[in-house]
Amino acid sequence: MSTLARPGSAARSKRFTEAVTGYLFLSPWLFIFFTFIVFSLGWAVYLSFTRYNLLRPPEWWGLEGYQRVLTDDLFLEKALPNTFKYVLVVVPLQTIVSLVLAFAMDQQLRFRRVFRTIFYLPSVTSSVVISLIFIWLFAAQGVVNQIIGISYDWLGEVGTAFYIIMGMNIFTTSGTLMLIFLAGLQDIAPAIYEAASIDGASKLQQFLFVTIPMLRPVIFFVVTVGVIGCFQVFDQLYVMTRGGPLDSTTTVTYLIYKWAFQDTTIKMGQASALAIILTLIILAVTLLQRRVIEGSGAAAD
Amino acid sequence: MKRLYQALSALSLAALVLAACAPAATPTPQVIRETQIVEVPMEVVQTQVVEVEKPAEQTVVRLSGWASSPSETALLESLLYKFSVENPGITVKYEPITGDYKQALLTAIASGTEPDIFYMDIFWWQELAKNEVLLPLDDLMASTGTQKADFIPALIDAFTFDGKVYGIPKDFNSLGLFYNKALFAAAGLAEPTDDWTWDDLKAAAAALTDASDPNKPVYGLGVPADPGRFPIFAFQNGGGIMTDDYSDTVLDGDAAVGGGEFYAAFKADGSGALPSDVGEGWQGTVFGKGQFAMVYEGGWLIPYLRDQFPSTQYGVVLPPAGPGGEGNLIFTVAWGVSANTKNAEAAWKVVDFLTNAASQQQVLESGFALPSRVALKDSDYLKNNPAASAIFRGSLEGARPFFWGAVGSDVNDQMAKALERVYKEGQSVRDAFGEGATQIREAIQSQ
Repeated sequence: MSTLARPGSAARSKRFTEAVTGYLFLSPWLFIFFTFIVFSLGWAVYLSFTRYNLLRPPEWWGLEGYQRVLTDDLFLEKALPNTFKYVLVVVPLQTIVSLVLAFAMDQQLRFRRVFRTIFYLPSVTSSVVISLIFIWLFAAQGVVNQIIGISYDWLGEVGTAFYIIMGMNIFTTSGTLMLIFLAGLQDIAPAIYEAASIDGASKLQQFLFVTIPMLRPVIFFVVTVGVIGCFQVFDQLYVMTRGGPLDSTTTVTYLIYKWAFQDTTIKMGQASALAIILTLIILAVTLLQRRVIEGSGAAAD
Repeated sequence: MKRLYQALSALSLAALVLAACAPAATPTPQVIRETQIVEVPMEVVQTQVVEVEKPAEQTVVRLSGWASSPSETALLESLLYKFSVENPGITVKYEPITGDYKQALLTAIASGTEPDIFYMDIFWWQELAKNEVLLPLDDLMASTGTQKADFIPALIDAFTFDGKVYGIPKDFNSLGLFYNKALFAAAGLAEPTDDWTWDDLKAAAAALTDASDPNKPVYGLGVPADPGRFPIFAFQNGGGIMTDDYSDTVLDGDAAVGGGEFYAAFKADGSGALPSDVGEGWQGTVFGKGQFAMVYEGGWLIPYLRDQFPSTQYGVVLPPAGPGGEGNLIFTVAWGVSANTKNAEAAWKVVDFLTNAASQQQVLESGFALPSRVALKDSDYLKNNPAASAIFRGSLEGARPFFWGAVGSDVNDQMAKALERVYKEGQSVRDAFGEGATQIREAIQSQ
């Protein structure tokens, strides 16, 4: 930069220095971001158009990988319906449970700090550990069967395995979502509740017509995070059932893992194609729900 | 142990003295001293610090395998220690892989950072050979005079691809019929022999079943939906799982279906059960607890029972023959050498050492697996250990490798699912296997 005194040049030079300093501060994060996010994502997009078995260099394949995904029986008949079923059951339930918990924790109850901690505990425990605990609880000779006095292999039967995993996920995530709701609840000005009660609104009416509309942005956030998390469910399935019994717990992410790492002949390209398809599904669902939740309640903001 | 320790400390003392005596004029010492931690396997593993003199020029060879049990790792480490004593110029870096071994190995190969020597399972190793990431070993074998004929033919052939040897089998296992002596005595039955047939098995399973105690029912035979157990029934019925060139499946053929019907009938008539029926994940545990009177398992069950259920009295015989004769599965693992290795000769030296007669003798005596060398067939150990001997002999009669071609994982999945459909959904064996075969053919076509 020239140091010649020209009007404006000092200011421009200062702006430039500031920008350099800014990017310098950002650089460690940018480096990680570009290496592990941008590059990896780009590479996965590239791989989705190739045939790649990890042992030979990727070979251009065009849309063949996508075509194979979209005609694969396991994907169409098991993984995709299972994933949607999982989202449709888990997201509403975990949202409602965590909202009710948060509302209860927001009241002037005794020991509410203790309860908050207890409800939050599952969220800070590793999902693998929780999965193992659930395996022991629901094993054929596990605690649950001992208590109700039957012998039933909960995780080994097609009819129950997936629901146990769903229940476990609701149990684990509700704590975190409760905290988010709690923060949202405490943001609502007491004056609004006061006004409502002066107008003669009951507690239930206050909850339905004051709390929920005021929480709309928080609900959007919780549902979005929940939907994305549910579409990507993997670790619990991997630990508890490995996609079985009879593919009843095979989801899209588990199928990606199976193709990419489990098959005798690795199908990295096809797995990448499925990963891209999953990304598009999540994107579409998120945009849709933004229209539904934010669109209908713009007035509340 | 104490004497060894004394000898080693004397050795290290001598090394210190020698190092001290080195002429001061030499600017760079020709010897560098390294402190190594060597674990010597014993009843109780002790950690010793041993000082070993090493020449300055070292060839480093990296070696990886999965670590299935601490004692197996200790066995490998003790063999590697012996190797390092005999070959001071070669340092072997043992890098065990925990977790998903194949996944870790393939990603390492993809990024060019694979170890020089690694375990290869019979089930998937051909993918490596087909994609040319393995070093053919024939020339190296010739260089040290190692003959193909030194190894059990079924094993070395299993690691031969396109006429070239790519892996040296390190050990193997086959299946044997394990039976609980106490339960046989309680039921008043004669113990099984190598000459048993399917009829004997069926009759015994029914007689041994005793569900009178609901908290501890006893079943005659373990019949898991396990693709590593069921296929022997297809073999014994004169059939198979895949055609000889692995281009098609014969899972829906009459022989395999007949084998499947015989297998599934144990569960249907109550004389057989799955491990999950009694709340366990593996039938070896159920056998140890005395709730399955008979199970088909490999030699790995022997050390497990010794450690976990020392009071269970058992015997092992060859799997009973079916209408089509004897049938068995061979599980084996070989040492392979990476095609990218920079030290092929040093790597071969390690492989050759780990599979030579002395090392194989040590493998045999450890009791985890059986040696791959023909010469050990008549060893005293096998004569004195009828259980291990039955597993060893199992590889000789009607045994085929546990390998189903390029879609192996799909074949395994489909066999397990077909049996699960029979067990859980009451589907007929013929329909279930037919559905499985259709899925396998689709997988083959989309290769």
